[in-house]
Amino acid sequence: MNRIHQHPILKFERGREVKFTFDGREMTGYEGETIAAALTANGVRDFRESIKLQHPRGFFCAIGRCANCSMVVDGVPNTKVCVIPLKGNMKIERQHGRGAVRERS
Amino acid sequence: MKEVEFLVIGGGPAGMCAAIEAAGRGAKVLIVDDKHKLGGQLVKQTHSFFGSREHYAGVRGIDIADTLIEALDENGVEVLTGATATAIYDDGTVTVATDDEWIKIRPQRIVAATGAFENALPFPNGDLPGVYGAGAVQTLMNVDGVKPGKRVLMVGAGNIGLIVAYQLRQAGIDVAAIVEATGRVGGYYVHASKVRRMGIPILLNHTVKHVWGEKEVEGAVVVKLDEKFQTIPGTAREFAVDTICLAVGLTPLSELLWNAGCEMRYVAELGGYVAVHDENLRTSREDIFVAGDASGIEEASSAMIEGRIVGLNAARSLSRIKIEEADYEERMAYLREQLRQLRRGPFGEMARTGKAILAGDTPGEEPPIEVPPVEFEPLFDKGCRVVIECEQNIPCNPCEDICPRGAITVGGDIVNYPKIDPEKCNACGLCLTCCPGLALFMIDVDYSDTQVEISLPYELLPLPEKGMEVDAMDREGGVVCRAKVSRVMSSPKFDRTSIVSLVVDREYGERVRHFRIDAEPDGATAAKSPQAEYDDGDTVICVCEDITRRQIEEVIDAGAESFDEIKRQLRTGMGPCQGKTCQRLIIRMLADKLGRPVESFAPQTARGPMKPLNLDLLSRVEREEKR
Ligand SMILES: Cc1cc2nc3c(=O)[nH]c(=O)nc-3n(C[C@H](O)[C@H](O)[C@H](O)COP(=O)(O)OP(=O)(O)OC[C@H]3O[C@@H](n4cnc5c(N)ncnc54)[C@H](O)[C@@H]3O)c2cc1C
Ligand code: SF4
Ligand code: SF4
Ligand code: FES
Repeated sequence: MNRIHQHPILKFERGREVKFTFDGREMTGYEGETIAAALTANGVRDFRESIKLQHPRGFFCAIGRCANCSMVVDGVPNTKVCVIPLKGNMKIERQHGRGAVRERS
Repeated sequence: MKEVEFLVIGGGPAGMCAAIEAAGRGAKVLIVDDKHKLGGQLVKQTHSFFGSREHYAGVRGIDIADTLIEALDENGVEVLTGATATAIYDDGTVTVATDDEWIKIRPQRIVAATGAFENALPFPNGDLPGVYGAGAVQTLMNVDGVKPGKRVLMVGAGNIGLIVAYQLRQAGIDVAAIVEATGRVGGYYVHASKVRRMGIPILLNHTVKHVWGEKEVEGAVVVKLDEKFQTIPGTAREFAVDTICLAVGLTPLSELLWNAGCEMRYVAELGGYVAVHDENLRTSREDIFVAGDASGIEEASSAMIEGRIVGLNAARSLSRIKIEEADYEERMAYLREQLRQLRRGPFGEMARTGKAILAGDTPGEEPPIEVPPVEFEPLFDKGCRVVIECEQNIPCNPCEDICPRGAITVGGDIVNYPKIDPEKCNACGLCLTCCPGLALFMIDVDYSDTQVEISLPYELLPLPEKGMEVDAMDREGGVVCRAKVSRVMSSPKFDRTSIVSLVVDREYGERVRHFRIDAEPDGATAAKSPQAEYDDGDTVICVCEDITRRQIEEVIDAGAESFDEIKRQLRTGMGPCQGKTCQRLIIRMLADKLGRPVESFAPQTARGPMKPLNLDLLSRVEREEKR
């Protein structure tokens, strides 16, 4: 796990520990941290496959602007995971291409 | 429709100060920010800030944010977080989207304090996971407490690159080197010194040629550049790193202002296109102001003052609010003077020139400043006192303010360099821990006949223990000798910076400025780029639509002369980031290829919404409105 446990200046107030899945693999993270942070902490950096060249892509700006971190979260594609907080039992998937339109539930 | 008197868009230092000032004058203020916590850039800054004490210099960025948030509350400012302003319309309506709401606001006055966006740097394989913006690296490690990688190559030796490199080490992450394409360190000397003495090399006239990796970054090739920024053959060096951190500048975030029809102007000194504004930061649209990085890339200190100016003027322009003329004049004179002070000296030149260009005149003559000596003070012969290694005209003075004995003088001009009066210093150590540059040291030359004691500010973990033997290091991070730790002091007064004292032989007293407990395991495993060269034509410029440099060049060669023409043919800028990443790069390519100045190319037309919105949300709003 790539967590910072001790820091000379900062104290990290982490939320409740929760489970989520990434492409079916079970992982743990903290509620309220961004999904991107939780994935990175679990060693996942490759978030999506780019639309034409099929290149692997991760986050870049982490402030919700560049859209490089678009993933499928609970079935919703193009979710910018760098700004969306993690919740327990989230189903996170690597996005391929532009993402498909969902049926209205 | 929600009615407010003053709408502040962006809750960074500029926006928060605008809100506080206006609310303090009686205006009804709403502040919206797209993050879930207010603070903007401040929430990621673990270091103490520069500037003057009145504007929180010597206080850590994270703590300044908390102070301002409290002040918002005290002044009754309404706060809406997780809320993005998506457009400003001609009739003054502003639309704001939250996760599940779409709100229309009708403010009488607006300020865009939206901050800036980080510049990208294109090179082959630069779109691999592991190439991150410096802001992203900071967010991850300082907000979420997650390591962005194990070993980082920093690109850019401006203040941001230097500070983030230091913060990476604070978080226990290895920094292989800092590369800088120009021949000089752009950031403050004191920031550069902090990283140099930890042994992080700053490679001037160097840049990243390419990175490589299968699914993520595995290494980078760095090359040396000549004066014309051309690669010098035979200089390629490989670095085994898993992360590239880009700190190559910021661009003001101005789409809302474009969209609102404000007159815009390209000013290179301010970082790109900014809304033309007057001295009170009012744009060409009477109801709209701009402040902070959105009005030109600068510092949090100036952003806060600009915010104050905007808040005061916005409140004053409301018919309901009365501000005594004399009161207004006095406050404005004070704020203007503060800004002028901060923009003095070599580091303020960009802002000084940029703002003058905007106002349509040349920067006025500045009274000359005292230029510091280039040499450090040699070791003195008796007593115990502070030595200052801050030999640059930077806008900073908390050391002067904190010294209870008045031993340090910066003087009326905040960019003067600090001087010590040896007679007055009684070695209390307070100044060591308040200096954001960690540029103050205390030396006791009378420690013993043959040895001196050097006390230094220390912000890394683990702390050494008294009696421990450590490697003493010099200003460049080279090991000088072994040293014994004679004292370790931490105190709430020192605000999380400790003071560590080392005893070394007298002859080393002039050189020792840092130490390490153990030699760091050298993370530099041998790395080999699978290919010596990658075709730069394959570099992805528009990451949303996957458009390469070659494709764009072909379209320019075929006659395209504007960003819009390229966009029509290739869809560049039409992806979900709306051109934030690629537009600047493509306009550069146009300028280079056609031999025209950057400012002669218009950016794409900005139209709301400034953020991709969920159609479901919009359709729901429409249904509700019909009802
Ligand atoms: C590594 C680093 C170190 C620094 N060190 C120093 C230092 O020592 N001293 C110093 O004075 N300065 C320092 N700075 C600079 C300083 O942080 C910035 O200049 C300052 O934060 C600018 O303030 P701002 O309010 O204009 O913008 P920001 O702090 O960027 O705030 C803008 C806010 O607006 C929000 N926003 C943007 N668009 C919208 C929208 N459409 N709707 C809603 N909200 C929106 C953003 O999310 C953000 O929260 C540093 C910067 C960095 C990156
Ligand atoms: S050590 Fe104390 S007395 Fe000496 S300069 Fe610093 S604050 Fe002043
Ligand atoms: S020595 Fe004084 S002026 Fe220089 S960085 Fe430190 S506090 Fe600022
Ligand atoms: S990383 Fe840029 S939008 Fe998420």
